[in-house]
Amino acid sequence: MTTTSEEPARPGAAAGPAAEPPADGPPVTAAPPAGDAAATAPDDPATPPEDPGTPWERLDARMIWVDALRVLLSMTPAAVALLIVRVEPTPGVLWPLAGVAAWGTLGAVLDVVRWLTTRYRVTGEYVERRTGLLVRTNRSVRRDRVRSVDADARLLQRLVGLRRVKVGAGQMNTAMESALVLDAVSKQAALALHDRLLGGGADQTERAAARTEQADDERVFAGLRWWWVFYNMFNVWAFLTAAGLLWGAWVTLGMFGVDSTGWVTSLADWESLGTPATVGVALAVTWLLGAAGLGVNFFTEHAHFRLMRIEGEKGTLLRTTQGLFKTREINRDDNRLRGAAISEPLLWRWMRMADTTVITTGLSMWSVGATILPRGPRRVARNVVARVLGADPSPLEAPLRRHPAAALRRRIGWALTVTASVTALLAWTAATTKLPHTFWWISGPALLAVSLALAAVGHRSLGHTFTGDYVVVRSGAVSRATSALQLRAVSGVRVRQSLFQRRLGLATVSLSTAAGLGGYQAVDLAAEEAAEFADRALPGGIAAFRAERGDG
Amino acid sequence: MQTSISLRPPRHRVQRRAVLWWTLRSLLLTVVLAGALATVYLLWDASRPWTGPAALAVAALGLAHTAAVPSWRYAVHRWETSAEAVYASSGWFVRDWRVAPISRIQTVDTTRGPLEQLLGLSTLVVTTASSSGAVYIRGLAPADATAAADRLAEITQDTPGDAT
Repeated sequence: MTTTSEEPARPGAAAGPAAEPPADGPPVTAAPPAGDAAATAPDDPATPPEDPGTPWERLDARMIWVDALRVLLSMTPAAVALLIVRVEPTPGVLWPLAGVAAWGTLGAVLDVVRWLTTRYRVTGEYVERRTGLLVRTNRSVRRDRVRSVDADARLLQRLVGLRRVKVGAGQMNTAMESALVLDAVSKQAALALHDRLLGGGADQTERAAARTEQADDERVFAGLRWWWVFYNMFNVWAFLTAAGLLWGAWVTLGMFGVDSTGWVTSLADWESLGTPATVGVALAVTWLLGAAGLGVNFFTEHAHFRLMRIEGEKGTLLRTTQGLFKTREINRDDNRLRGAAISEPLLWRWMRMADTTVITTGLSMWSVGATILPRGPRRVARNVVARVLGADPSPLEAPLRRHPAAALRRRIGWALTVTASVTALLAWTAATTKLPHTFWWISGPALLAVSLALAAVGHRSLGHTFTGDYVVVRSGAVSRATSALQLRAVSGVRVRQSLFQRRLGLATVSLSTAAGLGGYQAVDLAAEEAAEFADRALPGGIAAFRAERGDG
Repeated sequence: MQTSISLRPPRHRVQRRAVLWWTLRSLLLTVVLAGALATVYLLWDASRPWTGPAALAVAALGLAHTAAVPSWRYAVHRWETSAEAVYASSGWFVRDWRVAPISRIQTVDTTRGPLEQLLGLSTLVVTTASSSGAVYIRGLAPADATAAADRLAEITQDTPGDAT
């Protein structure tokens, strides 16, 4: 292990200028035992210099209270079942209860160990964390690489004023490393950390206090409307949710000796209803239950949702806060904002709903951080994007230039190819096996109709335009995505043309960028527009590489 | 109807030896795939009704690919670097033109696979900050690739910013 410290580490000189111990916990001074430091190599390639001046801090001691509560709660089911309901103590009942209690206790004990062994500090250049009893881990993140500081809290933690803080850096995201997590510190410490790492005033405590009330310098862009919940109740996940709920209920009730299967059987005379009706009722009930479950889930996750822009030291931040029991706060550095995208899956498009994401660097498109609005009305999504990007006119509302009819012909070609090959395969299967021939007679025309419709929808969704500092592209038959990307973020262009596209006079231009998905495409442009599009999209242009006019 | 892209081809062709490289690669792949099918054909009697025709089809397609595609590629693959950008075209069935501005370049490398080393060829890899942005220029003479990499590295150092 090499350190790049300017002065040699002096184990005895730890109590230097920072002799005062931290407010809570025993005085924890800097230099760890020499053997410890030698045995553990930090996983960050850039080793932080020894900095004996900054004291190490502990996680908040209130964690222990949460753990004690957790042990109590994990015992509760057993206590209720055995002492109040007086369930017969058979092994089938006892084992799950004992399991729950043991799981809770184990978790609490591990948590206490974690509290005992974890130290963290923020030095001039690094955020550092040391943790672990048997395997010691040192994590350090350079402060200039910190991209986000998020705080969330589980219900119990929230009750005692604790927050779990995640310090995220862009590099970790792409290297599939997890963020540095501090679980848990006090609410004030979380706010102070946030202010220190992402910028905030010199007087942090004052700022933190102001924040808890309601700061004036924040602009709220969007809140939650209760009726958005209906948008989020109806999708295929409803059945999965219902299955989970029903299974959970069946197991729990079984533990208390309730015969739920018998109860359901006795509800109606299923035999006289017949199989189709029974299946229909079962599906309807499951679906209703699932939809309700999704609704409740959406509400608990997004309650108190607010999207706002706040001031930071290094610039403004885009912040979302949400959650009923488990609160989550995500901050995105506005300096890294490169655009926004609205995606509208087919069925939701008819309900005029949309998902809204921002295109930023250093933040994976698939992480929750990119989503800035719960699924809701497209009108609201467009409004919010306009205000978040601060561009007038809003890039996502600009009229798009449609792509040529040849693009429709290409899609019809795909539709016919898929239909013909699937039908041919089915016909061959029918000829050689017992599959009835009526099967492909019916599936063929149905497939043809659906694929042709998708071809038309896919063609209608194609479009692109340039507006202000943005390039806007739209594509996608099933999930239509409209993306507005800042021109300064474009880091390369790629023009692609297959032989078929060449025959149809089409070409696809991809713009590569460091932000968001990494590449955004204008699919099936007219071939003669491709060079023009690339020239306008790329900073500096590609004029040097364009053919002379009339040079075909 | 105008059907081609109004971009001029980049200035330099790749090395003539690259045709040999593509031919060898294609041939190797064909031999491996057809060989695997032929082995199954010999060892497992029950599979013969379909492994026989499959092996023949793979061999025929592979040989056709080996005969046609390398020279087709040679006609298409071109590259150039200027003070502003790297410009390369490649592909055969799907043609591909790529431009990476110097101001967005993050790294410039040259790589050589085993076959390339045998034939005295080199690949120039120009990466930008984007996950989809790397430009591969294959089939260069090692001296050309190294010279281009050095020149690009030099210009890149003088150009600030990489749009991240």
